[in-house]
Amino acid sequence: MAIVEVKDLSYKYDKTPVIENISFQVNKGTFLAVAGPNGAGKSTLLKLLSSIIAPTMGTIIIDSENIADYKSHQLAKKIAVVRQEFVPVFGFTVLETVMMARTPYFSSGGFESKTDRQIVNDALKATETEQFANRQLAQLSGGERQRVFIARALAQNTPILLLDEPTSYLDLRHQVQIYDLLKMMQVEKGKTIISVTHDINLAGQYCDEVLLISEQTDYIIGPPKNIFSVENLEKTFQVSGFSGKIGTESFFLPLGKFARDNQPPTA
Amino acid sequence: MSLLTPKKLALRILIASLLLVALMAICSMIGTEDISFKNIFGDHENGGINPDYKIYVHIRVPRIILAAIIGAALACSGVVFQGLLRNPLADPYILGISSGAGLGAILAVVAGVNFTILGHSPMAVFAFAGALSTVWLVWFIGKLTGRMHVTGLLLAGVVVNAFFSAMIMFITSVAKSDQVFSTIFWLMGNMSEQSFLVLWLSAGFVIAGIVCLFLLSGQLNAISFGEIDAKNMGINTARTQTIAFAVAALITAIAVSLSGLIGFVGLIIPHAIRLIFGPDHRQLIPLSAISAAAFLVAADTLARVVVAPAQLPVGVVTAIIGGPFFLVLLVKYSRKAGIWQS
Repeated sequence: MAIVEVKDLSYKYDKTPVIENISFQVNKGTFLAVAGPNGAGKSTLLKLLSSIIAPTMGTIIIDSENIADYKSHQLAKKIAVVRQEFVPVFGFTVLETVMMARTPYFSSGGFESKTDRQIVNDALKATETEQFANRQLAQLSGGERQRVFIARALAQNTPILLLDEPTSYLDLRHQVQIYDLLKMMQVEKGKTIISVTHDINLAGQYCDEVLLISEQTDYIIGPPKNIFSVENLEKTFQVSGFSGKIGTESFFLPLGKFARDNQPPTA
Repeated sequence: MSLLTPKKLALRILIASLLLVALMAICSMIGTEDISFKNIFGDHENGGINPDYKIYVHIRVPRIILAAIIGAALACSGVVFQGLLRNPLADPYILGISSGAGLGAILAVVAGVNFTILGHSPMAVFAFAGALSTVWLVWFIGKLTGRMHVTGLLLAGVVVNAFFSAMIMFITSVAKSDQVFSTIFWLMGNMSEQSFLVLWLSAGFVIAGIVCLFLLSGQLNAISFGEIDAKNMGINTARTQTIAFAVAALITAIAVSLSGLIGFVGLIIPHAIRLIFGPDHRQLIPLSAISAAAFLVAADTLARVVVAPAQLPVGVVTAIIGGPFFLVLLVKYSRKAGIWQS
């Protein structure tokens, strides 16, 4: 059953089209990767899906209701967003940061209930961030901080998670940790995950479906093994590459000029 | 794991309020004239009004209440502007209130306007109008730059401030020196006697404003992480920003019209409270208000007595005491934790 339906979606920034006539749907409990070159409109699509910006044309249906009909606090109970890793200006602790996700659920008194505390504790445990609950975000590494922001999204207790390049700036170990965590959220908690990514190899390994956007109007959607073919990737990213298999996992290695010529650069 | 609870917050507010009241009581007994409690409430020898009572009730207490109101207003708007603009250097005057108030005041003097509203001089009335008009102008220009973009708003504030400051300098250059002297002295930050009506009205507006900002504190916490994050957490950011900016600007304009420009309070007190208790606006707003009230009461008392019988501009005292005090806090607590990050 579709939990996200995008119909003929278009978005123009000033008069420049960023996204044109995209339609797709995401079923409940699916892990969808959104890939494509810079400027293809991936992050814009995420902003449209989280109602940060409104479409120029077309509709987005979230859980059978038009996104435009949701009030902000209602939508916050359906969709949580994790953006790229960042350090906030002021020194909030991990616990305070994750608790902030409960804001749409707070009573008018503005303080958290026992239930809120329990949900936050569960989110901290699930992301293995409880050991630094009282530390400030600025004191954590990039990978730890990103786990905290995922914990915050979990504490928001929504059926849909949107992520904007959650592993950019992270080293390989932390990239894998984040993807393991997301997969666990999908499998154990039944979350629908939509993640913008540049890492097609990790996306191919973890995601059920891929939306590959080449240009504003050119996109394909389907299982990674169909979408991440050498032809599709070379055409989309305008790069030559090499594809292979390790065990059951496929990979794509982009080849630079010197690798293609099989010659090292000379001075 | 520690989180702010209503009980913890109420206890902190209670303790801080009791300390403020105690400080106000002590400061009310300090001044160039020696007065005693016994004389204040005792009968006068000749049957008339006791002079100690007159000094206490009509001069000292109103001035102390005034200092407390202004301190609370400046600190709260400092907290709010820092949070909304996500800029630790933001102070209550960041959106051009200082230059707007200054321009208003100097125009009133140069134009020879001669009327009073609720006992307020035309300088104060024009300063109030100038401050609010400038904030509106900055807000309007900020909106034109995009959807209430923080950078646009900040730059608009800087440019309007610079432009109005240049206008002030121009008028100062061409006006008679005795005309502008009083404005410049007033702009340095001075407490002056106010009628009880003005005092209570101002107190009412400032307290209502602080309560309003406190009610927005959960939303302000979320906005500290950025507008998009706050929206994703279900906050109606446009509404929160509009109300918070308007209320903070209004209480700052009230403070400026009462006392001129008192620097440092709105910048250092919020940071001091943030360093000690953390950045949660639910306690940052009330504790900053109470602490800044205490700080300005103490600073004004010093301003009254240090060079008696003359008086120092209170803005001078706040900078002299506030600067080193804040640096001590900064070094002590920043070592403990990475408080601010770029």
